[in-house]
Amino acid sequence: MEILVCVKRVPDSAENEISVGPGGADIRREDLVYSVNEWDNYAVEEAIQIVERVGGNVTVVSVGDTEAEEIVRREMAMGANQGLLATDAAFTGSDGLGIATILEAVARKTKYDLILTGAQADDGAAQVGGMLGALLDWPYASLVNLIKVEGDKALRIGREIEGGSQEISDIELPCVLSIQTGINEPRYVGIRGIRKVASVEIPVLDGGALGLPPETVGAAGARVRRVDYFVPQTGAGAEMLTGSTEEVAGKLVDLLKAKGGIK
Amino acid sequence: MAQILADRRDIDFVLHEQLKVESLAKHPRFSEFNRKAVDMIISEARNLAVKEILPTQVDGDRIGVHFDNGKVTVPESFHKAWKAIKDGEWLAMIEDPEWGGQGMPRLVASVAASYLMSANFAFMMYAGLTHGAGELIESFGTDKQKKLFLKKMFSGEWTGTMLLTEPEAGSDVGALTTSAKPNGDGTYSITGNKIFVSGGEHDMAPNIIHPVLARIEGAPAGTAGISLFIVPKIWVNDDGSLGEPNDAVCTGIEEKMGIHGSTTASIALGSKGKCRGLLLGEANKGMRAMFLLMNNARLMVGDQALSCASASYMHSLNYARTRVQGRNLSQMMARNAPAVPIIQHPDVRRMLMIMKIYVESLRSLSAYVAFCFDGIETSADPEEKARLQGIIDFLIPIQKAYTSERAFDVCSLGVQVYGGYGYIREYPVEQLLRDCRITSIYEGTNGIQAMDLFARKLGQNGGRPIIDLGDEIRRAIGAAADVERTAGMAEKMEQVLLRLEEVARHMGMTAMYGNLMTAAAHAHPFLEVCGDVVVGWMLMWRARVAAEALAAGSKEKDAVYYEGQLKNAEFYTQIMLPVTMGRIEAILSGSSVAVDIPEDAFGGK
Repeated sequence: MEILVCVKRVPDSAENEISVGPGGADIRREDLVYSVNEWDNYAVEEAIQIVERVGGNVTVVSVGDTEAEEIVRREMAMGANQGLLATDAAFTGSDGLGIATILEAVARKTKYDLILTGAQADDGAAQVGGMLGALLDWPYASLVNLIKVEGDKALRIGREIEGGSQEISDIELPCVLSIQTGINEPRYVGIRGIRKVASVEIPVLDGGALGLPPETVGAAGARVRRVDYFVPQTGAGAEMLTGSTEEVAGKLVDLLKAKGGIK
Repeated sequence: MAQILADRRDIDFVLHEQLKVESLAKHPRFSEFNRKAVDMIISEARNLAVKEILPTQVDGDRIGVHFDNGKVTVPESFHKAWKAIKDGEWLAMIEDPEWGGQGMPRLVASVAASYLMSANFAFMMYAGLTHGAGELIESFGTDKQKKLFLKKMFSGEWTGTMLLTEPEAGSDVGALTTSAKPNGDGTYSITGNKIFVSGGEHDMAPNIIHPVLARIEGAPAGTAGISLFIVPKIWVNDDGSLGEPNDAVCTGIEEKMGIHGSTTASIALGSKGKCRGLLLGEANKGMRAMFLLMNNARLMVGDQALSCASASYMHSLNYARTRVQGRNLSQMMARNAPAVPIIQHPDVRRMLMIMKIYVESLRSLSAYVAFCFDGIETSADPEEKARLQGIIDFLIPIQKAYTSERAFDVCSLGVQVYGGYGYIREYPVEQLLRDCRITSIYEGTNGIQAMDLFARKLGQNGGRPIIDLGDEIRRAIGAAADVERTAGMAEKMEQVLLRLEEVARHMGMTAMYGNLMTAAAHAHPFLEVCGDVVVGWMLMWRARVAAEALAAGSKEKDAVYYEGQLKNAEFYTQIMLPVTMGRIEAILSGSSVAVDIPEDAFGGK
């Protein structure tokens, strides 16, 4: 099975202090440590496991600046067979649809059976997977937490739904799936994997190579523009519950019952 | 969340700006390790450390290891972390790929390992000791021994230890009584009791390979009659399969102040007369072989200490930035002035400054020593190899003893920055302080390190190492003197270096002319001033690189970092080097009070 996995380079929330930047429309990025978006890492692991079971190839692609190459290489060290970097000054400022448009162009260059994205990105809006499915006119499922390969034509998939339940569906290939965390346990990257990919050339695709007119992507093509980030003002009225864990839990249940939160 | 183990910017500075690790990739031996590979290795070590090893830190301390009827169990979470270490092949980073190593430069391996150790060094001891024991077999083993043991050890499938200490042979290894009797089939029967065996028993691996120091029957007394043996916990058959248990039995474990996740075992060898060992290397040359392991282990102990200090500094810094307490001193008269984060208080800043200086400068020292090893690997010139080896030899006791003591000071300051909370278990600095304390003691107490520096290293090859080290420092002084913002420190460093050379001569003369006891009483202070000068050298080197980068124009975030390096140098020059000058004066006084005082005058009777 030929699988394309879309990955994004994001600030690593495990070891970063996130604050709003001076313009208000972005976070401060100067001192951040970046890594691969956590959901995407699960998607890559799932793709590797599928290929381990049924054969094929895993290709990872990232849309970003040249520094995004590091996460493509990282996922190759983890076990993906190929990597691609879609980068172009004209891509800067793309909204979700712009990113999906770029990924669609990447997907159409090769015949893929399956495209995986993360369910969302740490700094995103959980929209690219669905948009990509729509642009390709492929079936799409979100929040996927189980994949079983059923022959060449279809997959049986599980989706996480409210209340911790799982919805099982069959979906025809080719399709786009956005992957939920917990679907697997992503492997760590080992030194041998790093040595293998450290000197590999990762092909770069720009707007020209993808046949994308500049006005369709980037800030020029964006129809959604982020206006502001803000940290909510500290307000009054919060009640701090004190006591042992059992006492606090009891008080919380009483409060939730009293306020109608639970019956 | 802010960084909690180590400052990645500082690590990158050491690797790429101070030591220029990429230069190593020009050599065929390390050609795989280009910048991309190095950055990925460090990132993945950090990733593994934060996500997999760090969650074992508290388990290791609170659950600890448990002994029951010869078996030791580690906390459940250790098993998963150990699998991750094995899967990623983090055990034998610098070893020959032929035997399952990764062939990495020691500089990169040392920095990667420091991340893992910062997350839980007690856990990482199982890996470190396995690596050390494997190195012994790689260096001194026969091909057959290498085939039987190495890949299994370097992959972490089996672990390793070192069995030196006995109840009556601790610092004085030559007094050991464990005996070895030839069986006539190439094996030896080993009999004796060993204590303080780190990683001596646990349930993470099906076999443990013990390198054991023992005396072959009839061998000379003292260290000249000591041989080294491979004693597997489970006998390994010639085809590599596991045989019968080898009568090397854990009889108990110690309850310690810290590193509760690391087993400290007592091992009875041959109590049923059935413990077999294989001679490793030549008979009666065991101590020479063991020194290879001990030198590396001493460097590792310095790194363990530094890893505690680094984590303690990161935690304290984060705490000081977020803990709001008291008004800013400049507004103390304004009753309505708001409370401020404690990082605004001068005394907290003073403590953080000292912590930052030691963590960063000692990180540079550790990296520099590793880089010297890589220099030996990549040089074809025997003289250059010897020069670098001499510098390493001189710096080993400093990295072990000076780093462990300053790291403990840093951890203690970490507790102080937290105030009352720092003394409470719930906060991580408390455990870091306890865990760090052992590093001044094991692998040769710091007193022994001081004697090693003074009695062995100072006069080694006619004093060549200290002369070569002095030349290195003078080159750095020369470079710093040419840069406006570091010229002042360069001048002070030249003065201190001259005084250090004077004190080194004084130590030698004192010992030579009959005052050995007095000189020995100053061995530790001598090690301390050597360490102070080395720290100054590293800070000056860093500041010069930072000043040049600032002058060349830097991005805003880099400029703040570089300014921090210049502030390190200024603080050290203005506040700390004068203390070093005082220490030097004290040594030069030749005071013999510590030796002269009658034992009874210590009182207490």
